[in-house]
Amino acid sequence: MIHNGDFQRPAGPLLSVTGLRVRFPTRPEECVRAVDRVDLAIACGEHVALIGESGCGKTVLGLAVMGLLPVNAKTRGEIRFRDCDLRAMDEPALQRIRGKEIAMVMQNSANSLNPVMKVGRQIAEPLRVHNILPATEAQDEAVRLLAAMGFADPAQAAERYPHEFSGGMRERILVAIALSARPDLVIADEPTSGLDAVVKAQILRLIKDQMAERTLLLITHDLGTAGYLCNRLVVMYAGEIVEEGPTDELLAMPRHPYTQGLLASLPSSGFHPIPGMSPSAADLPAGCRFFPRCCCVKEQCRQNHPPLIPIGHNRKVRCHRYD
Amino acid sequence: MNRRVVLWISIAVLCIYIGIALAAPLIAPSGPTAITGKPLEPPGAGHLFGTNDVGQDIFAQLVFGARITLLFGFFSASLSVLISTSVGIAIGYYGGIVDEVVSRAIDVFMPIPVFPLLIVLTTFFSPGIIQISILMGVLGSIHGIRIIRSQVLSVAQTYFVEGARAIGASDVHIMSRHILPNVMPLVMAKFVSSSQHLLVMGVGLSFIGIWDTTTVDWGTMIQNAYSSGGMALGLWWWILPPGIAVVGISLALAMIGYSFEEQFNPRVGVNRL
Repeated sequence: MIHNGDFQRPAGPLLSVTGLRVRFPTRPEECVRAVDRVDLAIACGEHVALIGESGCGKTVLGLAVMGLLPVNAKTRGEIRFRDCDLRAMDEPALQRIRGKEIAMVMQNSANSLNPVMKVGRQIAEPLRVHNILPATEAQDEAVRLLAAMGFADPAQAAERYPHEFSGGMRERILVAIALSARPDLVIADEPTSGLDAVVKAQILRLIKDQMAERTLLLITHDLGTAGYLCNRLVVMYAGEIVEEGPTDELLAMPRHPYTQGLLASLPSSGFHPIPGMSPSAADLPAGCRFFPRCCCVKEQCRQNHPPLIPIGHNRKVRCHRYD
Repeated sequence: MNRRVVLWISIAVLCIYIGIALAAPLIAPSGPTAITGKPLEPPGAGHLFGTNDVGQDIFAQLVFGARITLLFGFFSASLSVLISTSVGIAIGYYGGIVDEVVSRAIDVFMPIPVFPLLIVLTTFFSPGIIQISILMGVLGSIHGIRIIRSQVLSVAQTYFVEGARAIGASDVHIMSRHILPNVMPLVMAKFVSSSQHLLVMGVGLSFIGIWDTTTVDWGTMIQNAYSSGGMALGLWWWILPPGIAVVGISLALAMIGYSFEEQFNPRVGVNRL
């Protein structure tokens, strides 16, 4: 890794993804390029958001870090967590890391809990699977976590089944499961999808409190959520990173036309959608992947694929306008 | 009649049968093979259901026969459900080439009728009760493998299985703690229907004399009565008791099985039970 000056922690990043590509073969001679040459480094304690619309590869990236991609996925590149090369690890070694070192808050809170297992046991499960605590103490820990998640009667809640809870409560239970083995890195995939604004705000505050001393990789399409929880934003489009930078700078002055479009499409700035649709990951345009929808296309945008160029000391953008 | 009443009556009938089988030496202390009276005595004071052609008490035979018949049914059903659950979960969860091979093999075996196949197979093996019940357990599991596999396929695709993988759970942990409890209702329903099915099949096999004819069970009782001319002579007390006993247990198990299915199959109304 390149260390730039005194700002870099001596240990290096907690998670570093280098040149990651994930492809799904569909027909012979054809494949879906879900993630394409992504470099991403997350330092200890950093909160990073991966932003993009549905199908841009952000969830696939999260699953790739967890080693949970479907078997037909073709992966290349490097994923390092601390000193371990996750891609070189075998399944039992990955199982020792999942849930204990890297945890994931799954998308889809409605179906991510086992319907026939009491929630207390589900929250205690990571502790049992990794043999961290004996059963009774794991159960006590689950009750403590439920209390931390704002459940009024945590001991009673632990004895209930998932269907007895509302969507917001289930989401909090999922966060509790992810946090129970005290992982260093939490990957949260759309933690507030499908929740109403009030519940969403409660859960975001809860996540923010719980994440104070942890590292977070948030996967979302919602700039508001990302801006609230994270100090660095990474914008993905059609499988690649198009822009990244500190949250306040990036939101104040977006550089990439796609990020500008995303901001303009927010209700608060007038609901102006980006024209067109994002390209199919099986049939990407030759030059810049955004040019068919871009407001300011130049001739080279149609031919040359732009590199991710650094602007200033902490921002990067993938656009020919900044060559 | 109300479904729930039928279910409870059936469960009571099943319990009575099991109780009789367990307490057989107390109910009929003389034992099933002791000659306790004159041949072909009609039902009367000393012999509740009369005697057979060699003077053995039919009531005692019925009570002791319940042991063999029930044990046979439940043992082969347990084995069958054990095999179909473990194989069904494993192939449904792992999928791939093993799943493909097992599923195609099942497709081949499914249309073969089990009863004639059993008759053929028992002529090759020594026809002891244990061997036959193992054979029936294995053959009876084929249908169950397919049912449980299909249920596992839908459970294994759910997000909570993905979630279990994300907390670092091993495949064995996921199959035993997450998938098995979710297919358990189906397994229970399958167990009840298999025990009914296999019990009746066992009685059928012993009636045609496939297994050791010296054991006393309901099938051999009917067979004895039939071959000794009990049918032709109108000796109803010899034929009817084992026959009614088989019908009774079979009906009770079938009703319990239907109720279970109604309870656990979302496509059949839940509140009817």
